[in-house]
Amino acid sequence: MASAEREINIYKNIRCLVCQGQSLNDSNSDFAIDLKKVIKKKIINKKSDREIYNYLIERYGDWILFNPPLKINTFLLWGFPLMFALLGGFFIYIKVLIPHSRQ
Amino acid sequence: MKKQFKIFLLVFVTVIFFVIFYYSLKANNKNNPNIMLNKPLPVIELTSLVNTNLKQELPLINRDKYYLINIWSSWCVPCREEHPILMKLKDKIKIYGINYKDKKTNATSFLNKLGNPFYFTGSDKDGSVSIEIGAYGIPETYVVNSQGLIIFKHVGPLNKKIYLRISEIIK
Repeated sequence: MASAEREINIYKNIRCLVCQGQSLNDSNSDFAIDLKKVIKKKIINKKSDREIYNYLIERYGDWILFNPPLKINTFLLWGFPLMFALLGGFFIYIKVLIPHSRQ
Repeated sequence: MKKQFKIFLLVFVTVIFFVIFYYSLKANNKNNPNIMLNKPLPVIELTSLVNTNLKQELPLINRDKYYLINIWSSWCVPCREEHPILMKLKDKIKIYGINYKDKKTNATSFLNKLGNPFYFTGSDKDGSVSIEIGAYGIPETYVVNSQGLIIFKHVGPLNKKIYLRISEIIK
């Protein structure tokens, strides 16, 4: 991915902590400007996305990311939709498919 | 039997949901400015505001018992407000100032006029030093102990209550 594109993708996934519901990409606050500069420098220094996110999480916590990372306490958030899909599928299987196969 | 099982399942699922929602509502997932609390201060190098050849690396390990870091700027109104408190604190604790995105002439005239509480003032022209230590904006104040851990952090201007708390911590 081109570095400019990568840069913007990262900005879009980072919450401007001093703004209301804006991403870094949307904001021109001092905080956002400083953070963008720091991220840009890290990209030039060939840091990976993961390294950049970890750097920010260390200093500002998970809340700084719009996409919450998969962790023990966010496991349910990511796991529930899948679990419900499986349960629903199982339910449909029992209710609909089994009676038909008996005929 | 089958009906009982269904009722049991319904109650079971409801209880699980209730517990999850209860804890999720209680948990503070939102912004927590104290995330750096009790963590080591990231290594930063301050370049003196008055003499660019003069550098100061932080954290200082095993030197002073405690020291204070204050991020400020001459254009920041709340910094002006908290300045008298910093002047009072300077006799109790060494203060390292980080001068955030400021003009040298404005910063020095600010200190000449209102007094200089800082043992060392570093310049942070692009705001990167402040980001390095997890700052949100100015003013912001950190108390660091001899192991280099941030033991207190305050976002916003210092007030009398915070002054008393810092005095209590460094006693």
